[in-house]
Amino acid sequence: MDNNRQGAKASYVALVFFIGLWLILPSAVRRFNREAFAEFQAPALHLVGKGRDLARYWELKSRSPEELAAASRDLARINAALELKLHSLDDARKENIRLREMLRYPQSTEFVTVVARVSIRETSSWWQRIVIRKGRSDGIRPGCPVVFGDRVIGRVSTVHLTTSEVDLVTSPGFRCTAFLEGDDQYHVVHVSGRAGLSLSAPRAVVSIIPLEYNPPAGQIAKVMTTGLGGVFPSGLTLGTLEAGVQSTAEKHMQTGALTPAKELNFIQEVSVLIPKYPTAGEILLTPAGKPEEFR
Amino acid sequence: MSLSWAWLFLLLATFPWLLGVDLLSDAMAASGVCLFVSGAAIIAPCRRLRRWQAVLFSACVGFLFESLRPIPDGSLALLLVFVAIYLTSHRDEIRDMPKMFGAAVVVNALGCSAWFIAAGLAHTADVPLLSLHFLGQWLLHLLLATILAVLLLVPLTLVQNFAMDRVGVPQPDEAV
Repeated sequence: MDNNRQGAKASYVALVFFIGLWLILPSAVRRFNREAFAEFQAPALHLVGKGRDLARYWELKSRSPEELAAASRDLARINAALELKLHSLDDARKENIRLREMLRYPQSTEFVTVVARVSIRETSSWWQRIVIRKGRSDGIRPGCPVVFGDRVIGRVSTVHLTTSEVDLVTSPGFRCTAFLEGDDQYHVVHVSGRAGLSLSAPRAVVSIIPLEYNPPAGQIAKVMTTGLGGVFPSGLTLGTLEAGVQSTAEKHMQTGALTPAKELNFIQEVSVLIPKYPTAGEILLTPAGKPEEFR
Repeated sequence: MSLSWAWLFLLLATFPWLLGVDLLSDAMAASGVCLFVSGAAIIAPCRRLRRWQAVLFSACVGFLFESLRPIPDGSLALLLVFVAIYLTSHRDEIRDMPKMFGAAVVVNALGCSAWFIAAGLAHTADVPLLSLHFLGQWLLHLLLATILAVLLLVPLTLVQNFAMDRVGVPQPDEAV
């Protein structure tokens, strides 16, 4: 027993020494450690996601042929309408390019879309995030916007080889600039996630709303991305501004709560928008002489 | 099979349980609570594994929890290592089932507090640590961690004991 206790004392000393070492170790070592454990879990997360897909497949397979025929007919109609829209948008795009060239206006950020299935959701008071089944090997980079249709879901926070972690709009780490619907002067407001209350729907905060702003009467004001900063394309819906906008303590601005555009906790598939060319932030953070990382 | 790898085989046997609890958290995502059972998962191994093996196992369990969450590196893993050293030098405190239940509840609550406070320190500007909001959230997570430790200890211990028997880890009475 004495030997056992003596060994324990030595272990405590070793632990204290290791904690000291851990604190002064370069962050690359800690990052490697985190990455290694995340990669260890990645196959299991893929398996879970594929299991869900299989369950969904069998659920769909059990539908009656009449139901499927009706769904197919509806989709064909929607496709026809979208094809018309696509054609008109193509004309607008060409005209836009021509006008930009005439005015020597800088090109807007172009994105490549990668569709990814949600593997697992992680929520707590301090974070709201999802893990998706696409990663570095698919070209995803930290900071890429994540959307569903024209609605913002969040932003990629960490990228692993075959999985990525996405901070949702309501997560405390999320920050974005936005315009409010009904604001004719296009004041830029700030949207940020907030550490949430458990057992209640997660919310984000819309701050620096000008005092003179009044939401459009009889309808809910949409909050849309500005496109400033080059991370999110402009015009995407972040959510809606809840009623009950309040003045700040200094009485020079207003703040309000944002309800996300999509039910974030039930989403199964998202699109990651990968900028074709490095953003300004990425260029600043890239070590000199390593631009090939973005190719 | 070499006994020195017992901790790794045990980790592989325990991982599905940790993943299962993560999936339970996923199913409850709308409620905004994170379920935690990593603390209870180290109790049975600490009865039978050698100290260095228990330390490695506990560190891995802690790092697995931290790796996919924005928790400061090592805050949970190092606490679990400390607990593993304590438990392997006081094996009489986890000798029978009632004592194991007590230890599982305490260790799970300690681990839950460690990651909750460590993660919360990054948000003190939004939520002060000494606020009702913070205390309420903390107590809710503690309560869930305690309940989960009580509910899952028996099946978890059964699986872990089965894995340790297969690998040839000595029984608790013979453990050094």
